[in-house]
Amino acid sequence: MPVQGIRTVTAARNGVGAFILQCKQLDFHYCDWAGSSRGMVAFLKHQLPAFAKANPQIEIRVSPRPHKHPVIKGHYINGREKAICVRNLEPEQIFNKANLLKEASGEKLKRTKKPITSLNESVRGIWSPYHGGFKSV
Amino acid sequence: MKRLQLQRWSSSVLSPQARAGSRLPRRIQHGLRYQSTNPFPVTDAEAEQLFEEEPSRSSIRPSQISKHALPSPPVEAARESAKLAALHARLYLPSRLPLETLGRTLVDESADPNANFNNESLATLGHDLLTQYTSEYLICTYPRLPMTVIFAAMYAYVGPKTLAAMTNEWGVELAAAPGGEVDPGHLQFRRLAPGTNPNETPMRTDRRWEEQTWRRSVTSKVVNDNVFGDPVRASVNPKLLAKAAAKNTAGVSAEEASAQFVRAVVGAIYLHAGRPAAKRFFEQHFLSRHLNISDLFNFSEPARDLARLCARESFEPPVAKVLSETGRLSRHPVFVVGIFSGKDKLGEGAGSSLLEARSRASVAALKAWYLYSPMNVRLPNSMEEDGAAPWKPVHVDLGEVIV
Amino acid sequence: MFSRTALARAFALPVEQCAHFSVARACLHSAATASTTTTTQPQAPLSATPRVQTSAPSTKPPASAPLDPASLKKPVAPTFTKPLELNQSLLSQLPNLTSQQPHYIISHLHDKPYLLTQGDQIRLPFLMPNVKPGDVLRFNRASVLGSREFSLKGAPYVDERLYECRVRVMGVDSEPLRIKEKTKRRRRHVQQVRSKHKYTLLRVMDVKIKTAEELLQEGAVVVDETA
Repeated sequence: MPVQGIRTVTAARNGVGAFILQCKQLDFHYCDWAGSSRGMVAFLKHQLPAFAKANPQIEIRVSPRPHKHPVIKGHYINGREKAICVRNLEPEQIFNKANLLKEASGEKLKRTKKPITSLNESVRGIWSPYHGGFKSV
Repeated sequence: MKRLQLQRWSSSVLSPQARAGSRLPRRIQHGLRYQSTNPFPVTDAEAEQLFEEEPSRSSIRPSQISKHALPSPPVEAARESAKLAALHARLYLPSRLPLETLGRTLVDESADPNANFNNESLATLGHDLLTQYTSEYLICTYPRLPMTVIFAAMYAYVGPKTLAAMTNEWGVELAAAPGGEVDPGHLQFRRLAPGTNPNETPMRTDRRWEEQTWRRSVTSKVVNDNVFGDPVRASVNPKLLAKAAAKNTAGVSAEEASAQFVRAVVGAIYLHAGRPAAKRFFEQHFLSRHLNISDLFNFSEPARDLARLCARESFEPPVAKVLSETGRLSRHPVFVVGIFSGKDKLGEGAGSSLLEARSRASVAALKAWYLYSPMNVRLPNSMEEDGAAPWKPVHVDLGEVIV
Repeated sequence: MFSRTALARAFALPVEQCAHFSVARACLHSAATASTTTTTQPQAPLSATPRVQTSAPSTKPPASAPLDPASLKKPVAPTFTKPLELNQSLLSQLPNLTSQQPHYIISHLHDKPYLLTQGDQIRLPFLMPNVKPGDVLRFNRASVLGSREFSLKGAPYVDERLYECRVRVMGVDSEPLRIKEKTKRRRRHVQQVRSKHKYTLLRVMDVKIKTAEELLQEGAVVVDETA
């Protein structure tokens, strides 16, 4: 056999062709009785339908959680989840929190110094000491 | 160039009634409700034609049956599933593709053996489309690729592992077990029984002589095997297959079920939204993924191959020359060797011994030859569009050297 | 309501902040809204990328443009005063560059250079206003276009009609919470300053350098410098 093929898998590059939002599901938990859920209940009544309509790619679940503070949970495509407690928040603030969960990538927060990550090889090539007239190396 | 008609294709896949049939049976069947994505339900007579063995297992299921008794979720449930609607929106599927069909693509054959409710037919069409578009792209963009590398690249683009990864990246969740009460947004399939080895599939082919450990040539793979160079399963009598499926004995691995789902989505887009939409879906979801084709080569004797290649292309025989070196007598020598054919430098490589450097240089030369890619290549499937410019043949090379 | 806040935000923020690039909101939600127009154009929901954008964006939108959010999201009409001028040396050298794949581009955003190739992911060191995940931006400040052996340098920038570089907004990333402890002299108290910045994630969709034929087709003019 002169040459064999090596089996690999192509790497995903979300956004190069199709774009898939990483947040796939948002859970809204509230309590009917507690005062810390007052803003959450108002948000669910008045703003959630518009939010859900604007983001059809997110599955939205609303469920009561009695005697607990209200929580928004985001589930992401990479399998992780993020939860934000929204006790005593106004509906406007809760909307901002839901937007934050929607726009997040779901990755664990990391401190990075380089702005660019690339799968491609260096376009200009890697410097070599044996080329370009450096004969004395 | 002859064009395939959508209607003619879709009729065989969607339902026996998708052809504009007579209106009378439709009227008769109107009173009943069916679990089917077909606009026109299958009549009794045709159902019996399809399933001669078991006329009782026709596609007709009145809605009185409890959904716990169904093998897969009823069709009406698709409209109420939030997961399914979210998946539809997440993939930006065209609105002409109904939720019911998307729900059907999520039902594997192992979950529901009834061909009118599982994704088998859509997946067959989708697999053919995917492999056709991928092979066209590969052969036209890299006309000199060896056949084994084409097999590997096909596997990388549309192989089951990639499709399973894509299912994951689309946010599709797997159901623990199939059933009528399951949310139709889950991928439903019967899992393998614990203890079974998923790789140990009975590979009985139609060619008995190949079940022995005889050497199988690339030509034999091209002719007889599937698009990835794997042996094709032996053809089984479909009646026996249906019986085996009815017993629901065998499950499938999650990877295989996910791959079938992705193929079925492509087939469904082709049927409901047309060829341009399917092509665009392929470009956006499959071709946009990252693959470095030069990583797929595995040479065993590159220097010999290069000599054969030069002989075939009537170049001067390749000669390896040391371009520069350092530390020949030390513990870490480095040699830079170039391969020359006459005055042309074919390739160059560095290594810690002369032989290693020479073989690296040969690999570089061979890859430079095999990975030639013409500019502004036009794919044959562009001829399917209306008003396409006349076709100019693309250059396709002989392929690998035969040693 | 969301629309009201978006309106207020759009009015409050100056347009010049996002003036470096044109914001083209791709027709992303048309599939979900299930409008009747999608039935006549089946390709519309799937084509998230505007494949052929004939209007090159301008660096500044016209000052008299109405500032409603809808017009903010559309690509700004070009305001080039004269066609692109190609001299003979550029025409003779450009095929060398365009025929050698792959290409890179050094694109400038708020005067910071980013060396980009196709498929790269960028984490901008700031939060970009007025963009949503899925938006497609077009970078039009580049100092260098190049391939492995050739490069085209601008003085200081290359004309934006020579290339196309599109990026997609992927979302917003955040850094882990940083706590800086501050102390003053002779004060037995440690002040904790918390910061958690947000950054915009981008993905480079394509880096394309136009060939001479494409440029001439788009209305470039060949200038003879010897005359």
